[in-house]
Amino acid sequence: MYIRYVLVALVVGAWALPSPPTVDRPDDKRMGGDAPTVFNPDGTRAPSSHQKIETTPGSPGGSKKSIGNAIKWKGPAEKYFHESTFNGHYDGRFADRTLPAESRNEHLRALVRTYLATMHALGAETWIMHGSLLGWWWNRRIMPWDSDIDVQVSERALAFLAAHHNMSVHAFQDVSWLGGVDMGGQGVSMEKNNHDEDVDAIVGKRKYLLEINPNWKNASYADKYNVIDGRWIDMKTGLYIDITSVRWNQSSPVPGTLYCKDRHHYLSRQIFPLRTSEFEGVPAKIPYAYQELLAEEYGTKSLVQTVYRKEGHVFDKEKMEWVAMTRPGQYGEGHYKKTEKAKKKAAGTKNQSPNSNARDEGKEVRLKPKDGRGGQYLMGNAESVMTVVWRLFVGV
Amino acid sequence: MSRDHYSRRPLIDQVHNNFDLDVSDEEEGFYAVDDGDYLLHPKWRAMITRTSNRIPRRLQRYLVIYAFASIVLLISWRLYIGPQYAAHQAELAVFDAAAQKEVPSSATPGFKDMLQVKDLETKYLPKGDGRLVAVGDVHGCKKELEALLKKVGFQEDKDHLVLTGDMISKGPDSPGVVTLADKLGASCVRGNHEDKVLLSIQEAAEYHDTTIPRPDVDSVDPVPYDVEDKDVSYKNPKLLKLAKSFTQPQLSYLQSCPVILRVGNIGSLHNVAVVHAGLVPNVSLEQQDPFQVMNMRTIDLETLLPSETRAHTPWEKYWNHQQKNKPETEQSTVIYGHDRKRGKNIQKFSMGLDSGCVSGGRLTAMVIKEGGRHSFLHVKCKGYVD
Repeated sequence: MYIRYVLVALVVGAWALPSPPTVDRPDDKRMGGDAPTVFNPDGTRAPSSHQKIETTPGSPGGSKKSIGNAIKWKGPAEKYFHESTFNGHYDGRFADRTLPAESRNEHLRALVRTYLATMHALGAETWIMHGSLLGWWWNRRIMPWDSDIDVQVSERALAFLAAHHNMSVHAFQDVSWLGGVDMGGQGVSMEKNNHDEDVDAIVGKRKYLLEINPNWKNASYADKYNVIDGRWIDMKTGLYIDITSVRWNQSSPVPGTLYCKDRHHYLSRQIFPLRTSEFEGVPAKIPYAYQELLAEEYGTKSLVQTVYRKEGHVFDKEKMEWVAMTRPGQYGEGHYKKTEKAKKKAAGTKNQSPNSNARDEGKEVRLKPKDGRGGQYLMGNAESVMTVVWRLFVGV
Repeated sequence: MSRDHYSRRPLIDQVHNNFDLDVSDEEEGFYAVDDGDYLLHPKWRAMITRTSNRIPRRLQRYLVIYAFASIVLLISWRLYIGPQYAAHQAELAVFDAAAQKEVPSSATPGFKDMLQVKDLETKYLPKGDGRLVAVGDVHGCKKELEALLKKVGFQEDKDHLVLTGDMISKGPDSPGVVTLADKLGASCVRGNHEDKVLLSIQEAAEYHDTTIPRPDVDSVDPVPYDVEDKDVSYKNPKLLKLAKSFTQPQLSYLQSCPVILRVGNIGSLHNVAVVHAGLVPNVSLEQQDPFQVMNMRTIDLETLLPSETRAHTPWEKYWNHQQKNKPETEQSTVIYGHDRKRGKNIQKFSMGLDSGCVSGGRLTAMVIKEGGRHSFLHVKCKGYVD
């Protein structure tokens, strides 16, 4: 397995990072060239002063940029990983700009596919979580508005990666190696649309760095600047996957309590034993009680609501994917407001149950049965005795 | 005697020595009926007497009885039937409203090494004296299963046995039950315990050892581990112990159990499916969420998402309500186990067979004959866990 992709391990100390990189910058024509360009160091203390980037807009052939010697940290010196100053989702050593939303998605997919396939090959126990798990729930893909990937590893897997694969650079010559997981012909597998040629093209060209935070051994919450235990970094765009380890809380009175340094906590039974499924066309581990975890984190509505107004996306059942709304209010203007109203109404009326259905686009929910009687019996004195007697003989 | 007659006399004349105030019941006046002339004017009284005399005495009696009965009815209606009826109506309204909703449209979670749906071979359908015998959660109670099969009069060559999942763990002889089921050629479905054992074995094979305490077999009500003895508690939990007790053929038998067994059409039961925990109505078997099929107890009617907790409406209530509204060819009966607390739970379209054998309850079998006629038999169990 190892032979099929090239794995170059570089010694940590000897590895010189291109900082500040001036030549080897990503030269993607699609990207706007006017993003600020500031790079972070990897170890040396930076001067405290922060020099503004000089940009000269309007010059022919795109904007030119000149980078000063001043380099800015983001966060204090104890912090190991430094994000770029312009966007927290990029590694400052490799990025000088944010990617436009549409190509960012492709790059993220390339990231997660290479990460999951590599971990699978290395036998490191990792699984997807948070936003990525929600994406898996809907269609086993990243959601188009996602700006990051969330994965977790077991402490043992982290120790293994730290000991043997830290600072390894991974390149993928044979993209087909990433292949799908064998679902035994039983899983209701998605169409092979997960294999996007664009993503494959990206994977073929890229190198990925697996970097483990040396503070991973410190399991304390107090180490608040190093909550991220490792990163899988796209060395061209600076996009990365945060790797956090799940740790055993041995002082908890509840047995099997787990936590991450980023202050998420779980129960062992919610995550283990892991299940094997597929995410973005590669084998992926899924926590045992996936629905419970998602409902805890995002609420049950997030598992059924096909209109996600905040991000302007609608889930297309035919295509099984999230598509952008073409115009605002396409799927029922004031949808949320309406359902909120319905909720309030339901709470105010005695016998109605709160049934406001957020999914049927503001349609009022019918609470009375069709024949219009019953369901409204009031225990108060509102009804005269005669009405009750009448109901008794006629109604029942 | 008029008023004037007295008034003309001096008061002293009225003084007498006779202070004997005893009223004798021998005097006629003692029994005199108090006419109550101070309540009703004699004219009215006469009118009432005239009217009531015209009504036969028997009718008058009935009137009183009717009045009394209607008061009783009214009170019971107000106190008991009415609220219940109202609750029932409200529930129906909620069900109807829920039925109008779209079922969740996200992808069905698909997993490696997990069969979603398997069809029962038609030769096993009840025909002639051949019967289909469905048995609830056995949980390793091999002796009880054998006793039940004996009571049913199970004939290997004619009858077919179906186990509704959770045949293993908790009880004394899990491997024995699997071997027996395999020997009898029984069909099975994957229960939450089988699921956990199989996943744990797969995990152990992939990752050898773990630093994190793994959940135990019955992690819903976990047993607090002894901190002093933590080595034992997480490196070799009960779950792995159980997993290790199976031989390879037994494991492959368990692995062959689908999440849903589609039995097919059996007369009055219509389409029959066997699952471990439950099904969501109006969703095809292929699209059911496998985790929930093995774990659900209730369904949230607002989102139509099933849940393992008891916080929402029991799923079988909603299932039965939905089946009634369907044409006969689409009606479907679910045979399931899983819910030990609610016990044997037989409704028109759902047959809950888990009657808590392993905790000293009963082991229940549903015997289905040709045409869907069915009966229930059970044996008492010894009780191996609380």
